[in-house]
Amino acid sequence: MRAIDAGILICVECHQLNRQVLDSTGQNCTRCGARVHARRTDSLRRTWALLVTAALMYIPANFLPIMTVYSLGKGQPDTIMSGVIELIHYDMVPIALVVFVASILVPTFKLVGLTLLLYSVERHQPLSARQRGWMYRFIEWIGRWSMLDIFVITILVALVNFGSLASIEAGFGAVAFCSVVILTMLAAVTFDPRLIWDNTESDNDHE
Amino acid sequence: MVDSVELQQLVDLPLEELVGCHECDMLLRKPQLAAGDRAECPRCGFVLYSHNHQVIRRSLALVLAALLLYIPANFLPIMQINVLGQSSEDTIWSGVLSLYDAGGLLKSIALVVFLCSMVIPLIKLLIQLLVLLSIRLNVGRSYGLLLYRMYHHLREWGMLEVYLMGILVSIVKLIDIASPTLDFGLACFVALLLVQVWLEVTMEPHQIWEALSGEDLHASH
Repeated sequence: MRAIDAGILICVECHQLNRQVLDSTGQNCTRCGARVHARRTDSLRRTWALLVTAALMYIPANFLPIMTVYSLGKGQPDTIMSGVIELIHYDMVPIALVVFVASILVPTFKLVGLTLLLYSVERHQPLSARQRGWMYRFIEWIGRWSMLDIFVITILVALVNFGSLASIEAGFGAVAFCSVVILTMLAAVTFDPRLIWDNTESDNDHE
Repeated sequence: MVDSVELQQLVDLPLEELVGCHECDMLLRKPQLAAGDRAECPRCGFVLYSHNHQVIRRSLALVLAALLLYIPANFLPIMQINVLGQSSEDTIWSGVLSLYDAGGLLKSIALVVFLCSMVIPLIKLLIQLLVLLSIRLNVGRSYGLLLYRMYHHLREWGMLEVYLMGILVSIVKLIDIASPTLDFGLACFVALLLVQVWLEVTMEPHQIWEALSGEDLHASH
């Protein structure tokens, strides 16, 4: 049985149960005072908006250089993919794999995964709710790991700073990439996972 | 499947005897947990809550240890490199500064890095300290509730473990060109990270919420 059917609302912040007050415009949690909703307001629309923006930023993030390595006056721009390939050339396959997963696989998986979740909730696709639940939790958990490349750039820019001998500068691709990570993290937060379970039981609860 | 008579009984139970899964909205009778146990949602498998020993006392010790480690971890050099006789060192703070100095849009990344690796981890620790103190000393619990709500919003934006992985990747990238040497700051950073992870496991939110709302005044003993 769902809490919503019993007239009980679960606070999204402290998980306290609250009896639903009918005919009220807004209700606050009896324990922590946060606003309680049966489902997050406009969850699907907000998640779509964030997701589409992230997908747009995904293009410059992958094609513009995230950093440029200057050595003896010559500059060599690096995109995310060329950074991974370079690591493979240096025979550092395990690290190349980590960077590949964090910077390429995870953002792509998040964009595709969230789109699939949204689509399946809107169209009532008969996908296993349990599997989708796991997928959502995975997306939510792994999102922050994409910041890896941004931190690497920060450290390299600070360390490799020898004037004309050798230096590293960050590029606009890094800004775009950083925004993709943040936007997809926000999209995962605005998505209400309870919607996944709603359409396994009834048809019209997610509006 | 439960039949409708049982369902009706579930609805009529007082809220204290019920628990709802916040992940899938399943409503169930609250299980009684012994210390060290945890309850999971039977439908989606989400961990509902667990029950730890001496939460307040153990968490306080950990939060103090983490705060002590915070300053050396952020301001002592993490590593040094040498290129043709010139050396250069990196602290977490200097990384933020050098990105900020690059100017333009890069300032926005510097800000994000500053928030995720320094500001938010510090705010999280301070909030945890204040919340634990308010439970322990039994003062200002309403502020404690407010702060603890903030904590849950900030939670996933503190990214110390990702930063550590970033340090490792940078070391590997530099190893052929500049022979990086590790420094004391890195040890402090790793220690801070370990203490913080331990703290998050120990400080069980369910027990903190109950203690903050005064439902269980003995949680601190």
